[in-house]
Amino acid sequence: MALVTKELTRQAHYGSNTLMRELTVLFQISPSSGVPIYRQIMDQVRSLVQSGRWQTGTMVPSVRQMAVDLDINAMTVSKAYARLEIDGVLERVRGTGMRVMATPSVVNPTNLGSLNSRKEQLRPAAVEFLAQGKQFGLSLEQSLAVATKVAQEISEASSQAKVLK
Amino acid sequence: MTVIETRQLAKNFTFRDVLASVDLTIERGSVVGLLGTNGSGKSTLIKCLLGLLKANKGTSKIFGEDSWALSAHAKARIGYVPQKPNFYPWMSAMDIVDYMGAFYETWDRDWTRELMKRWALPTCDRAEALSPGQKQRLSMVMALGHRPELIVLDEPVASLDPLGRRESLRQLIEVTQDGDHTMLYSTHILSDLERVATHVAILAGGRIICYDELDVLKERFKRLRLSAAKNLPDSFSIPDALQMTKSGKEAVVTLPNVSEDLIQRLKQQWDCEITIEDLNLEEIFLELSSGEGSR
Repeated sequence: MALVTKELTRQAHYGSNTLMRELTVLFQISPSSGVPIYRQIMDQVRSLVQSGRWQTGTMVPSVRQMAVDLDINAMTVSKAYARLEIDGVLERVRGTGMRVMATPSVVNPTNLGSLNSRKEQLRPAAVEFLAQGKQFGLSLEQSLAVATKVAQEISEASSQAKVLK
Repeated sequence: MTVIETRQLAKNFTFRDVLASVDLTIERGSVVGLLGTNGSGKSTLIKCLLGLLKANKGTSKIFGEDSWALSAHAKARIGYVPQKPNFYPWMSAMDIVDYMGAFYETWDRDWTRELMKRWALPTCDRAEALSPGQKQRLSMVMALGHRPELIVLDEPVASLDPLGRRESLRQLIEVTQDGDHTMLYSTHILSDLERVATHVAILAGGRIICYDELDVLKERFKRLRLSAAKNLPDSFSIPDALQMTKSGKEAVVTLPNVSEDLIQRLKQQWDCEITIEDLNLEEIFLELSSGEGSR
């Protein structure tokens, strides 16, 4: 029943605009994570743009729609969008909303720095990953095997997603 | 604009001091989650704020007016959803809402009809026949009919299952989140809060021990794992640490204000590698309230 009312509410807000719904479905928010929700949105918008899934000029879902579809506070979405605007990922279009910037800074390699410095940025995550592997009593090879397996699963999932699309 | 402001608010009952000294300032547009363990005084604080209980000491103001002497005008700007929905069981949901409306000058009957429709409330059923979730939503319609600017909820959803809780809160947020409405709701269920709150206030030991934006809290509280080159000395300590455990070369510390600067200093001081872990609200709450208990 709850789901039915949710659907009704959504329809009341957006009519039958299903196109936009497809965009918010791409987001996965985990409220009980230690990463603030606005950061999660920022990271996910960034990777959508980086992967080319959202191309230049793509209108991003409205703040209100994100809030309703993802069950979060609209102010959190506004905050994420505002930061992305400052970072040069999104730009505001007067009266219509936000869209992906012409040359979003996330895909501009000069902004990300050299390959070496990007590798350097990944270091802390790697340190933590390996430390945790050690805690679970895994050897280096065993830990790396886990990472490889996850990578395979991710690429399978994304190719399946493309087929569905 | 400040909506709620308390200064050193204290309340004790015959055998028990509940609120020792509460300082809390809530600005317009915030959605504040009031957190505390059972019996920490959340309901007492809310009742003092609304003028349902008289505080023993300190001041409490809503819209700049003293809580104990609120004008009819100020009261008309407040909507209150009590812990237990309260209405005549033999009346129909629609009659209850209209009956409530008779007490308000600015009651918006069409709005209540729309809310009832939107929240799928059976209008003609007797109130006693409604499910707990429906009763809760009815209680929310009653609190919203006069279009209040400030909405106060006392553990609004504690009686509901997780899906019902999330749904009720979401619906409430949906009609109120526009930056003009202010909301204060108490809960001990943290997962409810994390999706919707802009701010978190933690009540423990009769005081607000922490009040900040939820995002800021998550960014500032971190757990550090230190692993030093040699055994850490007995003198090992870090100022402001909430929790600290040390064994040999390793130490785990929770800190309320972590900066890049601090990390660098700690690395140098103790000659160690540091990994930083994020904390979710539940962990922050536990660290803070257990710290309070041992003090």
